[in-house]
Amino acid sequence: MTDFRPVLYVQGWLLIVLAGAMGIPAALESLEGNPDWRVFLAAAAFTLFFAVALLAAFREHRVRLDIRQGFLLTGTAWLVTSAFAALPFAFSGLSLNYPDAFFEAVAGITTTGATVLQGLDRMPDGILLWRAILQWLGGMGIIVMAILLLPFLRIGGTQLFHTESERPEKVMPRLEQTVLAIFAVYIGLTIACAVLYRLFGMAGFDAVVHAMTTLATGGFANYDTSFGYFQSFALEGTAILFMIASSLPYVLLVRGIRGDIGTVFHESQVRAFLGLIVVAVVAMTWWLTAALDHPFDQALRLAMFNVTSIATTTGYATADYNQWGAFAVLVFFLLMFVGGCLGSTSGGIKIFRLQIFLIRLRSQLRRLLQPHRVAPMTFNGKPIPEDVPIAVMTFILLFFVTVLLLALVLSAYGLDFITSVSGAAAALGNIGPGLGPIIGPAGHFGSLPDGAKWFLALGMLLGRLELFTLLILLTPGLWRSA
Amino acid sequence: MTDLRPILYVQGWLLLAVAATMALPALADGAVGYPDWKVFAAAAAFTLFFAVAALVAFRQQSVRLNVRQGFVLTSVSWSVTSAFAALPFVFADLDLSYADAFFEAVSGLTTTGSTVIVGLDAAPRGILLWRGLLQALGGLGIIVMAILVLPFLRVGGMQLFHAESSDRSEKVMPRLTSMIGSIALGYGVLNLLSAIAFAAAGMDLFDAAIHAMTSLATGGFSTKDASIGFYQSPAIEWVATISMLLGGLPLVIYVRLARREFAAVAGDRQVRTMLIFLVVTIAVITVWLMATKGYEFERAVRAVALSVVSVVTTTGFVTEDYGAWGEFALAAFLVLMFVGGCTGSTSGGIKIFRFQIAWLRFRVQLRRLTQPHTIVPMVYQGRTIPEDVPGSVTHFCLTYVACTLAITLGLALTGLDFIAALSGAATAIGNVGPGLGPLIGPAGNFASVPDAAKWILSFAMLLGRLEIFTLLVLFSPHTWRG
Repeated sequence: MTDFRPVLYVQGWLLIVLAGAMGIPAALESLEGNPDWRVFLAAAAFTLFFAVALLAAFREHRVRLDIRQGFLLTGTAWLVTSAFAALPFAFSGLSLNYPDAFFEAVAGITTTGATVLQGLDRMPDGILLWRAILQWLGGMGIIVMAILLLPFLRIGGTQLFHTESERPEKVMPRLEQTVLAIFAVYIGLTIACAVLYRLFGMAGFDAVVHAMTTLATGGFANYDTSFGYFQSFALEGTAILFMIASSLPYVLLVRGIRGDIGTVFHESQVRAFLGLIVVAVVAMTWWLTAALDHPFDQALRLAMFNVTSIATTTGYATADYNQWGAFAVLVFFLLMFVGGCLGSTSGGIKIFRLQIFLIRLRSQLRRLLQPHRVAPMTFNGKPIPEDVPIAVMTFILLFFVTVLLLALVLSAYGLDFITSVSGAAAALGNIGPGLGPIIGPAGHFGSLPDGAKWFLALGMLLGRLELFTLLILLTPGLWRSA
Repeated sequence: MTDLRPILYVQGWLLLAVAATMALPALADGAVGYPDWKVFAAAAAFTLFFAVAALVAFRQQSVRLNVRQGFVLTSVSWSVTSAFAALPFVFADLDLSYADAFFEAVSGLTTTGSTVIVGLDAAPRGILLWRGLLQALGGLGIIVMAILVLPFLRVGGMQLFHAESSDRSEKVMPRLTSMIGSIALGYGVLNLLSAIAFAAAGMDLFDAAIHAMTSLATGGFSTKDASIGFYQSPAIEWVATISMLLGGLPLVIYVRLARREFAAVAGDRQVRTMLIFLVVTIAVITVWLMATKGYEFERAVRAVALSVVSVVTTTGFVTEDYGAWGEFALAAFLVLMFVGGCTGSTSGGIKIFRFQIAWLRFRVQLRRLTQPHTIVPMVYQGRTIPEDVPGSVTHFCLTYVACTLAITLGLALTGLDFIAALSGAATAIGNVGPGLGPLIGPAGNFASVPDAAKWILSFAMLLGRLEIFTLLVLFSPHTWRG
């Protein structure tokens, strides 16, 4: 039997952090004289109680996790933390039931950005801040998970980024340093983004909230019309810059900020990702001018912001792109699957997996013609380990299959075709808004049946945990003793 | 430079067969004194001219093809044969453009069954017979290709079916040739039995013969605009369902049954999985239809069985508009378009064995996550799967999905809406027939689709029929270099 104690102990620490974070909106609300501060305090107390109980009951001197416990921790940490993070939504005066609250919390922590709330413009500041804090903390958690856990767990070809040659004892301290440096960059970029937002005209509170959800590539906004509320080119440009920055591998950003800009743009993932955005923006601009007769500058501005927002899996919108015709809707639909770089806050399949697929495609075509030729496959100038391509392809295939199954379930709740399919893709890719009139950029998830919300929340967690981390919890092998 | 002469020589023989087949509808029209016989005679003469020219100009003592030539021949033969098979449609009094005619011919030969002809009920018999013959010939061509060509080209894991690969090639060829002889015989006998069954269920002889040909070829061309729904006869519907099912099973099993090798048939994992999948799917959709649309049991089972078998075997016969069965059914039928029948049958799609291999591979991946160093042998049909097969299969599935999405994008550019573009791409590449939505759904047809979309769809049908890679390889420069 797997030993749960260290897992629960770490979970206790995570809940402490969460309870502490709840103190911030509580302080804000009481400063503003809003009675909602009690909601956050109650939620914090409730969470703190469980946190302390876990810490006391499963006290460990030194946490050492084996591979099974690693999976367990990753799976349960997101699930349990979301369950507690939902409390302020459930307790508040928003008249949300628990499925709604849980959905909102998961959409926050997984940095998806899908919302069940409408009337954000008049929402208490505490709730808006809590949503942003969830995304910001979630973003941090994702980077840590991608660097510390996924390569060791060998999820979906992520071992490609694992420095195999080094001994684990030597790697760990260096990893700790890396994580600290990354936190510093993440925090620094958030502050820079907030300052620029403020400079270009946002109110102070809006600037802080949007900076947090931009850097998390989460996409929660303070207004129902999302980023379209501001109608400012300077703000949109700032958002584009920081959304893209946060979709790049943070390890590289650290190096870039230390002055090694060259390596950032030399990385194959980064080039492919930026190239893809450029191609999609050009195609969308062409479509908007050719098919919808938009003036060029307006088309370019709309295309740049909305394409970047979906490609980075953020989910801000400045227009209802449902009205842009079938081609545009399809481009957005396809972009939902791509995602940013591994080691960033973005979701989706991730660009490196699509690159591996294409590399494999080229080598496959070659091998069909010359069956006995051994063509080594390389990525970033290094040979790809033998087990990576098939692991990557199995992952992508599973991603598509999960989207289809989730879409089937949603359609069984009576949701129309485009809502089901795009809702499933947007949840699994941690994007946010789907397509179509209900959950599209102009809509929200509030009117969906409760059952559909549970399944979408599950989809968001599955996507965030790179499918396998959650699926493996369902296999009997994990629970048996080694 | 690849030597094209043997390819063109074989193409000459194929055109000779097409020209000879054109004589049949000429006779059918001539016998009833209908002037359309001239159309077929002219098309036959035209085709014969090119056939003889190719045979004379590229005469070979004995045809020996290397792998490259194998790929080029397979792709070229389907495209060129379709181009000539389109001639009767162009010359006939149907007002079809060449884009229409080529679409109809490709749809016939690839046994897709999408049609651009409206008013089939009043169409001349020669044309109806020609459509039936195209699908029958196409069906035979598919089986020959699947047994003789694809395993040697190692396309998409087909090397799994590399018949007795340990044998020396001199011994394999005569055995394969005799195998194809018995399969062709079995195919003929099945056609005869099916025609008798259709006639016994109440069709007139001409319709019975055509529907037998198009159901066993899993093609789906009908002699009526309303397809099988025209007859309003439960008996005919069940005959159609069973004929399609028989067409979707590997033809080898009929040869085995005739040789009384019952154990081998009962132990065929692909067949068993397909039957279980069909039963479960039919049951689920039947229950859905009874619960939400108030169908009585008998009518629901009959309609669902025919529609599900029709889509999964990639035939395309229709009795009811399943697009009107609600959102869940719509999404389910879109998913079903990807499945396909068994390898070694006339059906298209991804095919059952690939799902089985992908599933085996998924389980291995899940297991390796917690036990990285276990070696799990993968076994299929009691034999160890060759090392390169799982990779080829998952890669095939992904490439299939990627091509479907690319074609969807192309179709959206021609102005089709989201569901027409997506389902049109899926139905064409899966060689199914009808799409979804009001335009190209079971109640519609492809006549009103723009010409550009027809060319894209024709390409998609060939791409799917040639198992993607056979055609993709032609775009690789290595095919054409020396």
